Amino acid sequence: MTATTPDRTTLDRPTSGPSRLSRVWSLASAETRMLGRNRTALVNSVVLPLLFVAAVPALGMDEGELPFGARLLVTAVGISLVMLTYYNLVTTYVARREDLVLQRMRTGELTDVEVLAGTAAPTVFVTLGQVVIIAAGVVLLGEWSAPADVVLPLVALLAGTLLMVVLAAASTSFTRTPESAQITTLPIIVVSTGLSGVFYPLSVLPEALGQIARFLPLTPVVELLQLGLAGQTWQGDPVDGSVWPHAGMPLAVLAGWLVVGSIAARRGFRWAPRR
Amino acid sequence: MHPSAPPVLPPVTVEAAPAIAVRDLRRSYGDFEAVRGISVEVRPGEVLALLGVNGAGKTSALEVLEGLADAGSGTVRVLGMDPVTERARVRPHLGVLLQSSGLPGDLTVAETLRTWAGTLTAPRPVEEALTQVGLTGRADVRVRSLSGGERRRLDLALALLGRPGVVVLDEPTTGLDPESRRQVWALVQGLVADGAAVLLTTHHLEEAEELADRVAIMRGGQIVLSGTQAEIAETQPATIRFGLDEDAPRPPVPAGVQVVTDGRRVEWHTRALQPVLAGLLAWAAEHGVVLRTLLARAGSLEQAFLAVADGTDPRETPEENE
Repeated sequence: MTATTPDRTTLDRPTSGPSRLSRVWSLASAETRMLGRNRTALVNSVVLPLLFVAAVPALGMDEGELPFGARLLVTAVGISLVMLTYYNLVTTYVARREDLVLQRMRTGELTDVEVLAGTAAPTVFVTLGQVVIIAAGVVLLGEWSAPADVVLPLVALLAGTLLMVVLAAASTSFTRTPESAQITTLPIIVVSTGLSGVFYPLSVLPEALGQIARFLPLTPVVELLQLGLAGQTWQGDPVDGSVWPHAGMPLAVLAGWLVVGSIAARRGFRWAPRR
Repeated sequence: MHPSAPPVLPPVTVEAAPAIAVRDLRRSYGDFEAVRGISVEVRPGEVLALLGVNGAGKTSALEVLEGLADAGSGTVRVLGMDPVTERARVRPHLGVLLQSSGLPGDLTVAETLRTWAGTLTAPRPVEEALTQVGLTGRADVRVRSLSGGERRRLDLALALLGRPGVVVLDEPTTGLDPESRRQVWALVQGLVADGAAVLLTTHHLEEAEELADRVAIMRGGQIVLSGTQAEIAETQPATIRFGLDEDAPRPPVPAGVQVVTDGRRVEWHTRALQPVLAGLLAWAAEHGVVLRTLLARAGSLEQAFLAVADGTDPRETPEENE
């Protein structure tokens, strides 16, 4: 059906330009600057999670068998991922959508994924920064002990962060306003976090419920952290030798959620408010 | 790719390939068909104005061109490429101004431009962009504090920041004061002089008259009239209007004249303005009649637009679109 072929020489001009990474960085640094200028958001994302983590040992919620340092780190990662990465990003994406900013960004040269990544960047930076601060605190308190495996906790942290970004994008499809995120995020924040092993070991649950809880999105992150940092299985049993044979199930569940979340985000994400 | 309906457009002459080519585009929301088979072309160095009342389907059609929505059926090409499936290749050449869009309020004007420039392949310098839209003095102001008109101009600066060869402007001057509007018009004229192809929608007939080489008037998801301004104006009858003194005799109504109002205020519509007017003047001279507030005016774009908006068929003699 090709009616005409336009003069392709006009297309020759911009073949290079900045790298993809530098393009996303441009958006990411602007978003970070905006976060710095928004006092409320800054307090919410930096101070509150730290307070929350600090409160966990004080509240005596750490009844597990884990050493204190590992316990604190597992809690820090779990809380940061849900309260900070997931919740913040649901509200941010929805706010940007309702303000028509996402639609505007989408008319430029960035791809859809790049727009979402750039928008998520400051939240992800803060999340990772929180974990680093808590880890430093653990070292300072003299509670640091050599992890059973270095790779698993890093995989848990990075894949867990990615999963939260993906789930946040997916959750925007049923979140109409930034305010309503307080309700729409409850399934993940209450159910998934409550049954993840962050607050109490899954071994205290009835066996059947514990097994079901292992399939929730945050649980494999906690399992992998426990395995890697303290060499303990989800039931609190110490592992002799390599921890990797015990990592198969949580890795598979994590990967499964990444796939499911990505599909849901791709299908359900809206770039503009409903008309 | 394989339209079953016969092509609406005649074969394209290849002297200047169209930068934008839309062929039998249709788009639906559920049961509602917002765009019902439109075809347009815009060549480099040309402005096409898409006119129509709200809900005529203008924005729905543009969203496909902008790569933001899939075409229900039909084909859309920007520089020969599909703006949806070949978005990454189209975008460096495409400047888009959405009808309503948001910019983060916490960044300054200059930061907004720098951020956007950082995402582009070949951006113009930020200073140049500021000058372009007259925002140089506002560079360090937060976007939140800008007036509506200033925000619109910043939005336009973003649309033009990548030196696009194809520009899609959805109601570019809505909400602007007259001075800013003229500034934007000059900007668009500059783009076109540099060879850009511009497709814009507007409510302002004055804007279309000022900028457009060709005009397409939409109603109910279809293009009802299209052509140059002169061609569209020609679809409308000329108007002759005059007042008569109470004791004055009545002029005879020439053949082919439609009497719109009669009595002491008379309005005629005719497609033969010159002979009808000459006859009227001759009759008046002969009978010593004064035609008070005599007005004779050829058909206009505005008349065509209003006729389309009213839902009356603007063409008394049926003819094909295009």
